[in-house]
Amino acid sequence: MIRVVSMPRFLTRKFYTDIFNKLLGKNKKLKIGFYGHPNSGKTTLANRMTNDWIGKPIGLVSEIPHETRRVYRQEHVTLSHDGVELDFDIIDTPGIATKIDYKNFLKFGLSEIEAKERAKEATKGIIEAIKWLDDVTGVLLVIDATQDPLTQANITIIGNLEARKIPFVIVANKIDLPSAAPDRIYSVFPQHTVVPISALHGENTADLYQAMVKRFR
Amino acid sequence: MDSNTDGLKMDFLSSTALNSHTSMEKVSMIVDRVKNGDLVVIEGGLSPEEEAELIETTMREIDVENFMGIDIYTLEKDKTAFFGLSKKKTVGITIIGPANVMKAVKKKSNFLSMIANLGDSGASMH
Repeated sequence: MIRVVSMPRFLTRKFYTDIFNKLLGKNKKLKIGFYGHPNSGKTTLANRMTNDWIGKPIGLVSEIPHETRRVYRQEHVTLSHDGVELDFDIIDTPGIATKIDYKNFLKFGLSEIEAKERAKEATKGIIEAIKWLDDVTGVLLVIDATQDPLTQANITIIGNLEARKIPFVIVANKIDLPSAAPDRIYSVFPQHTVVPISALHGENTADLYQAMVKRFR
Repeated sequence: MDSNTDGLKMDFLSSTALNSHTSMEKVSMIVDRVKNGDLVVIEGGLSPEEEAELIETTMREIDVENFMGIDIYTLEKDKTAFFGLSKKKTVGITIIGPANVMKAVKKKSNFLSMIANLGDSGASMH
């Protein structure tokens, strides 16, 4: 069941301004990277955030895995309020995987040539996403709460974030689906901050923004 | 894949043998073997940076017709620290193989059961 809590408009605006102020701190330039498996909901969440904060989406959302095949960067996400201008970048990355089988794309109606082309592009996207780890200042690791969270891609991302001392929040996404089991994510990664949300419906995003303030400032 | 027998070739690498190589050498040693159809079993694990490099190198080597990437599985073990007062998990064994050959059937913290696809025949490993 989805619980949507609506706030009066001026309170919502103040809430986001407070979030920005806390996120940015003292003139710190933030680059928030979205990482996770293909189809975990990274672009849906990035769209949700840019819609909340600047009123427009960052990228296309699709049912087909590896729809995001290159890094999308929304630079200078800015909010002006009471003469104060706040600025940061959102970086939506392709999903990280250890294998790509072009035959998986055939199920979504792509021709064999298109599927092979998409598979090749997806490999380049994964390389690009890994390279961006050197350049982000905070990460949202988006995990599909209906899937097994203990995958090599998730372990590799978390290990690299820890080794590079990059703060991160684990987002247990798709809690609106009946098979979602965010508790499994808590139990697998008990030492990390986990926030269950539905990026699609905007459920619990306020909690996520507050967790980002705590971890990223 | 062993070309003489058409069987699954498995290489076991000790941590001592691996640690005498640089990260780049380790990664290319693994990818070369796996691309050839072999299964690599490593004592211990790779560092997070080496894992990222392994994924990156795999992506460069993917050939949509013949090599679709890798699968990695690890078995962890408890390691005591601070004079036996605290325990933490470390990687005991890492198994890396071609994605079209490896299929994990069952994985628990101390148990891994796998099926290797070898064309029409199949081999199981526990």
